[in-house]
Amino acid sequence: MKEVMKIGGKLAAICAIAAIALGIVNAITEPIIIAARAEKVRLALIELSVGLEIGELNEVNNEGAILGYYPLSSLENIKAYIVNIIGSGYAGDMNLLTAISLEGEVLSVVLMKHTETPGLGKEAENASYMEKFIGKGNGSIIPSSKSHLDPKEADSIAGASITFIGIGKALNEAADFVGQLGGM
Amino acid sequence: MSYIGIIITFVFINNFILTQFLGLCPFIGVSKNVESAVGMGFAVTFVMALASIASWVIYHYVLIPLDIVFLQTISFILVIAALVQFVELVIQKISPALYKALGIFLPLITTNCAVLGIALINVRNDYNALESFIAGIAAGLGFLLAILLMSTIRVKLDSEWIPKPFRGIPIAFITGGLMALAFMAFDNALLNNLLG
Amino acid sequence: MLKEFTKGFIKENPVFIIVLGLCPALGVSTKVVNSIGMGAGVIFVLLGSNIFVSLLKNFIPEKVRIPAYIVIIASFVTIVEMVMEAFIPALYDSLGVFVPLIVVNCVILGRAEAFANKNTVKASILDALGMGLGFTLALIIIALVREVFGLGTITLFPIGNFNGVIEIPGLIDSPVRVFALAAGALLVMGFLKALFTWIEDIRRVKQ
Repeated sequence: MKEVMKIGGKLAAICAIAAIALGIVNAITEPIIIAARAEKVRLALIELSVGLEIGELNEVNNEGAILGYYPLSSLENIKAYIVNIIGSGYAGDMNLLTAISLEGEVLSVVLMKHTETPGLGKEAENASYMEKFIGKGNGSIIPSSKSHLDPKEADSIAGASITFIGIGKALNEAADFVGQLGGM
Repeated sequence: MSYIGIIITFVFINNFILTQFLGLCPFIGVSKNVESAVGMGFAVTFVMALASIASWVIYHYVLIPLDIVFLQTISFILVIAALVQFVELVIQKISPALYKALGIFLPLITTNCAVLGIALINVRNDYNALESFIAGIAAGLGFLLAILLMSTIRVKLDSEWIPKPFRGIPIAFITGGLMALAFMAFDNALLNNLLG
Repeated sequence: MLKEFTKGFIKENPVFIIVLGLCPALGVSTKVVNSIGMGAGVIFVLLGSNIFVSLLKNFIPEKVRIPAYIVIIASFVTIVEMVMEAFIPALYDSLGVFVPLIVVNCVILGRAEAFANKNTVKASILDALGMGLGFTLALIIIALVREVFGLGTITLFPIGNFNGVIEIPGLIDSPVRVFALAAGALLVMGFLKALFTWIEDIRRVKQ
């Protein structure tokens, strides 16, 4: 019994020292990581804002794809919104920021975080992939199925169609949401 | 994400061995005959299912409330090591026959990337408890499928003439590569057509 | 003493000869830069774990040595994870789940069990550096083959005006995509392993 206590005590000591050491490293690196993430969001917002003034984040708590939105305004008049959305990929969720005009037109899309397989779904990180959504809405359909694309375009997303549909659906929801918000 | 979607994804499209390279060591090392391949496959599936649940509980009820998510890797690997020991003891007590079949593979499983892999991937994908459990079983079955196919091919290969430098491990890798090529047929489009 | 350092390069190369640490070797070797990053992470963890296992070899009880080694290794892996995410986030993103998976890289536990717990700190450091560099070298070789043929590029670190990507004329426009995919990794590994076996055989015959 005494032997067991001794062995357990030694193992516990190693664990405790390891946990303390990691706690110290974490205390140093965590602020840097948080700052880097905030910076990434800030840069993405600036890219999406097309020179308009970015308002405060409003969080949304419903069951749908929308997490929150930032109003974009020029001289106090709201012109568009940046919407923070979740699209479902085929093995997990993707986080996107999209700028949508009051008329429901998708101005731009940026992929923030995804859990898709490297290789296939990663196509979504390419700007050209996102271009298939830009300028859609406001009269035309935001594609959320391959049948919305012409055959040549559909081929280029062959490997990542679930990702594509996931993004398309989330964008449609975001466009509807912006329609409801209106200019306030 | 639907449960069927998760199953198809982890068994075929994201097969742990053939597309994610998780669990390659036993895939090459324990696939020389069908019997041990099946034993290893079931042992891994069993441990992965349990590890998925255990790591989910640890993550959501210990690491997040105490705000020590940075201890994730260390706590998951310790949970897996403890779990493997525990499973070994239980099986030994309850079913000596099963222990005889799976026993020798259990100690190897602690350092199998696939088990720690599924625990980490579940967290990254924000799966809930049931989704984690299903993903664990499905990934294990994917492993079983790949190692079973591999072992049957290797048994056939034993009776073929192979250039000397390719014998053993190299031909196993090349076989695995050809299997991976075949598995590329399972892509998202398949899931799309099945589930709409 | 020097032998402890050089044995990991070819004679006991962890990937090509002993065939350990395969998951990261194939998983991250789509680009040369990822291989270098992964190699650096493994060298750091291997160095840390070898030093501590060797220092604590009389303190750690025989019965619980494996869990104790795992705790030591996992601590160093977590440090690598945190530092990499803080300072090189792009690399952290592209290595993904393979960073925490360094814990179960059999090379590291293997060296702790087979070498560090029997040898002096100095020999363990040399062993860690040699094995770590051997591992990195293997990863770079695999990545070179896969990236040159699969993508038609060689991606290194961006320095100054150089953006870090060398384009291979002829291959950049029509790369052999399969090399970059999972199947290509296994095929390349099979042929490289055969090559190493063949070289080893020739050497043995000469002796």
